[in-house]
Amino acid sequence: MLDVRSPLGTNVKFEREGIILSETGGFTLTQIAGENKVLKKALGKIPTKIGIALEHGNRTLFRIGTSQFWILGEAVAASDGIFVVPLSSGRTCIQLEGPRARDILAACALIDFTPRAFKTGQFVMTGIHHTPVLIQCTDENTFHIYALRTFALNIWDWLCDTAQRLDHA
Amino acid sequence: MDRAKRETDKRNLMTGFRRTSTGGRINRAKPVSFTYNGKSFTALEGDTIASALLANDQTVIARSFKYHRPRGFLSAGLEETNGLFTLGEGANTIPNAIGTTTTLTNGLRIKSQNAWPSPTFDVMAINSLAAPFFTAGFYYKTFMGPFKRSWMWYEPFIRKAAGLGAATTNKGTERYDSTNSFCDVLVIGSGPAGLAAALTAGRGSARVILAEQDSDIGGSLLSSKLDVLEQWRTSTAAEIASLKNIRTLTNATVQGLYDHNQAVISIGENRLEIVQAKTIVHATGAYERPLVFNNNDKPGVMLAGALRTYLNRYALAPKRRAVIVTNNDSAYDAAFDLAEADVAVTIAETRSSPAGDLLARAAQLGIAVFPNSGIADVLGGQQLSAVKLSGRHAVTIECDVLGMSGGWNPAVHLTSHGGIKPKYDDAIASFVPGTFAEGQFGAGAVIGHFGLKASTHDGIAAAEAALQTLGIKPPKQKLDAPATREDRSYAIEAAWQPQEQAPKAFLDFQNDVTLKDLKQAHQEGYLSVEHLKRYTTLGMGTDQGKTSNINALAIMAAMRGMPIAEAGTTTFRPPFAPLTIGAIAGRTVGKHFRPTRRSPLHAWHEQNGGVFIEAGLWQRAWYYNWAGNRSEAAYIKEMELVRSGVGIADVSTLGKIDVQGPDAAEFLNRVYVNGFAKLPIGKARYGVMLNDDGIVLDDGTTSRISDTQYYMTTTTAQAGEVMSWLEYLLQCHWPELNVHVASLTDEWGGMAVSGPKSREALQLAFPHIDVSNEALPYMGVKDVEFGGTTIRFMRLSFSGELAYEVHCPANFAIALWDHIMHAATSLDIKPYGLEALASLRIEKGHVAGLELDHRNSLDDLGLGKMASKEKSYVGKELRFRENLQAPERWSLVGLELLESDKKLRGGAILFAATDEIKGHGRGYITSVTWSTELNKFIALGLYNGGLKHEGKEIIAAFPLKNEQVRLKIVSPHFIDKEGSRLHA
Repeated sequence: MLDVRSPLGTNVKFEREGIILSETGGFTLTQIAGENKVLKKALGKIPTKIGIALEHGNRTLFRIGTSQFWILGEAVAASDGIFVVPLSSGRTCIQLEGPRARDILAACALIDFTPRAFKTGQFVMTGIHHTPVLIQCTDENTFHIYALRTFALNIWDWLCDTAQRLDHA
Repeated sequence: MDRAKRETDKRNLMTGFRRTSTGGRINRAKPVSFTYNGKSFTALEGDTIASALLANDQTVIARSFKYHRPRGFLSAGLEETNGLFTLGEGANTIPNAIGTTTTLTNGLRIKSQNAWPSPTFDVMAINSLAAPFFTAGFYYKTFMGPFKRSWMWYEPFIRKAAGLGAATTNKGTERYDSTNSFCDVLVIGSGPAGLAAALTAGRGSARVILAEQDSDIGGSLLSSKLDVLEQWRTSTAAEIASLKNIRTLTNATVQGLYDHNQAVISIGENRLEIVQAKTIVHATGAYERPLVFNNNDKPGVMLAGALRTYLNRYALAPKRRAVIVTNNDSAYDAAFDLAEADVAVTIAETRSSPAGDLLARAAQLGIAVFPNSGIADVLGGQQLSAVKLSGRHAVTIECDVLGMSGGWNPAVHLTSHGGIKPKYDDAIASFVPGTFAEGQFGAGAVIGHFGLKASTHDGIAAAEAALQTLGIKPPKQKLDAPATREDRSYAIEAAWQPQEQAPKAFLDFQNDVTLKDLKQAHQEGYLSVEHLKRYTTLGMGTDQGKTSNINALAIMAAMRGMPIAEAGTTTFRPPFAPLTIGAIAGRTVGKHFRPTRRSPLHAWHEQNGGVFIEAGLWQRAWYYNWAGNRSEAAYIKEMELVRSGVGIADVSTLGKIDVQGPDAAEFLNRVYVNGFAKLPIGKARYGVMLNDDGIVLDDGTTSRISDTQYYMTTTTAQAGEVMSWLEYLLQCHWPELNVHVASLTDEWGGMAVSGPKSREALQLAFPHIDVSNEALPYMGVKDVEFGGTTIRFMRLSFSGELAYEVHCPANFAIALWDHIMHAATSLDIKPYGLEALASLRIEKGHVAGLELDHRNSLDDLGLGKMASKEKSYVGKELRFRENLQAPERWSLVGLELLESDKKLRGGAILFAATDEIKGHGRGYITSVTWSTELNKFIALGLYNGGLKHEGKEIIAAFPLKNEQVRLKIVSPHFIDKEGSRLHA
């Protein structure tokens, strides 16, 4: 078996008062595309809105376009009308948690990350340091940031740097 | 007379201030030490730099921009024109800090600017002797000749002689940051209008941000000594502080307003905050306007409101006597407060009939009022010592300070950032906001309502309007206005021009623009306010004309014989006030200046002697230290490795796109100039795509994985653009095609295994997989399962040798690379980097990013024959337009250096042998390398007429190094023209 390597290295962790950054590895991420009715049949349920993740069975579904979805969890097989693209290697999931996690996010993207606007289960597709990310709120003060693999270390460094400057806030 | 007495007398003749024994918002129990121009001083907590210096008799604190005239503080706020300082030293130096708004801190090092050795004795003051020559347009008229580039020669001297503070080029230790926030109501300014608006919106449960540029909230209330106002301010502020839905920012200047109510706020020196507001309440107040008279720039001449602020906020009163000159009622507040602080006050009143109640109060306080009087001249040496009144009462009055009030200019700047022009309001003789952008409201002085009660009511009304916009009910509990007397009328009678000759009457103190300059600009035809600004520099600089603009344009309007309203204003643009470049840059400095992109094999290269080079955002392995420590030597060794044995290179940076769907073949057939409809499964094909203007967009190979799935590769540089292009075509041009595209650039890693021993290497690494020429012929593609994942073999060659690309999911890329390296150790496999990769392709004659520069056609690159004549494709029609078919177009050629002792350089300009070496030549070298096969420098280039000139000798000139070399035009395919190596 070939070893899996993360762009962030092994067991990375950054801690500062109110903030913990770590990597969440070992996920299966698949992008699927097709007509909604075909996808709904294959998946049972699909989210109707962009921005709210749907937990369904052993999958979390993100609607990322009119006919495109991300599946976190068990992949579906390609078949007539279902176009499947594995993305598990292409994204790195950085977990950001802690009471000041939202301050970090606010410093990184012009999105309203306050608790009343960005709740558990919600996600946004935005940019951090000019590169695209998907940010999911998985708990009150816990977030998963899906970064492009080739920019992942850059975003990790950016987040750590942001955390180190929080005293200015 | 002893020396001490002489010194005392000298001081008494100068402008000066004294601390009053009571009052002020300073903490008398907490002294603060600082240095000014190297000398140590002490002031009090709560002082600004300005009040600290005034308290220490430092009244000449700057020299003017052009004439180096002595200058003192004009104001007590953000509009300050003269009091700019350099703070700190070394790497953390901050130039152009506004002394009137910068809070004094212990140990602060303050330096004056534009004066040497000091503002009181400045060598460059000699400039003032030449003042008659330094009129408007002086630089433009004087320094443009006698030669074409004369300005470039003069510029450093001019900058040294006339300038503001200098930024440091050293790397500072200060940390800068930026963040974003959201709110329902952004209230800008915390005077009575702003406080009322913020509290009303806050009581209505809206999310409120209250942004105040001062270090304390209260705005004009901070300059008052009335207990009733202070009680109102503190109680309102306390309730604001108690509401969790209101966030108060101090030292926070709204620098710009943008579409959709986005505000950029600088907070202190180090932070920037972008606020996305649903609604905005402008409560920015107004700036007092100077009056125009002779020597109105002399230290000791200040704005009347500033005198009041220094007295009531900083407990600084003029030592003995003050003269106030005014054309409106507001300056009487300053006069009365000064008189109550035992300052002898005289008022020069430009109006003929000041209000009776004011005269009565003045009489009570022993203030002499001279109606119909302005200022004819300011007398004194470096500083004011007396003023001469104009008009009927042409008396000379000794004084310490002169406070002037020409009226108030609403701070309309932010309301104009969206492009809304302010409009002139005769009632206040100034400009008010033309209108407000959607969701924005105004309150108080910014809309010309200068009264305290009116401002408070405005603030409440503006907040209620904002709440209504948000769909929030206004709070039942209405805020009470301060219990003061009813607002009195502002009663201004504009006085734009001096009543007497005024050769040294300054309009713009910061840029040394006088009334005379304005008249000259008018005579020379610079009539519009925009031309006036650029010709005279009026309104430029750090204060952006906050005190000068309105006087100047009113005078210009008079000279043109038109109403002020018609003359209009210049355009207000962000930033509203000076801010540090560091705050703008925030975290995007050093390694975060731009994002860094790393291949999935990056860590391997780092650990195994790879030397990196930036290629766009990518960090790519340039060469490896097994081959040498300098790129010039290392890449040649790596080329030799690939030509004679086997090397492995990281090609993960190539763009990779998944194309799926029943119409994928048709889609690719339309995108590429050559046919893709019949590409067999398991085969790859080189393809070129054009923009719709017929210019080459990109090239690459696309492999057919299944009946409905393709794997496209693009050049590294164009990966993003091609992906966007494909999505655009599918969404906008051909929505009927059932095709889905997805970027795999991050998902897949790739490595090129190249060289005559490459097949052998793969056989060693994958003994169970048949990679023979029969099983995997040239352009063959094969997916296999290996090590728990899918690996894609593609027999492609960029180097011209027998070669394969091996792609796999990026998670496994390092393990797969290691596996191949380990398995082929016996073949002496080694990595090769970007320099060798790019050089090998030059020998083979493959075009790459340097040739695909969005200016070349298929024919320019010698690829015209690839294009299908049968089918249609993007760019086909415009490909044949006349210009692209011209025979003289710069087209691809190979180039060989004829002089073995010389060097070829990329970018060199190509000339025919008989040409004069001048101008843009007939083409240029795009890519150059040393050829290990030909043992000489070779290059690819674009040359007028291209290969029509094959065999001719030409010249390459590299003017930067004054080099010229002889070349021969040859075929761009330097090696293996038949392709026998890659078909081996």
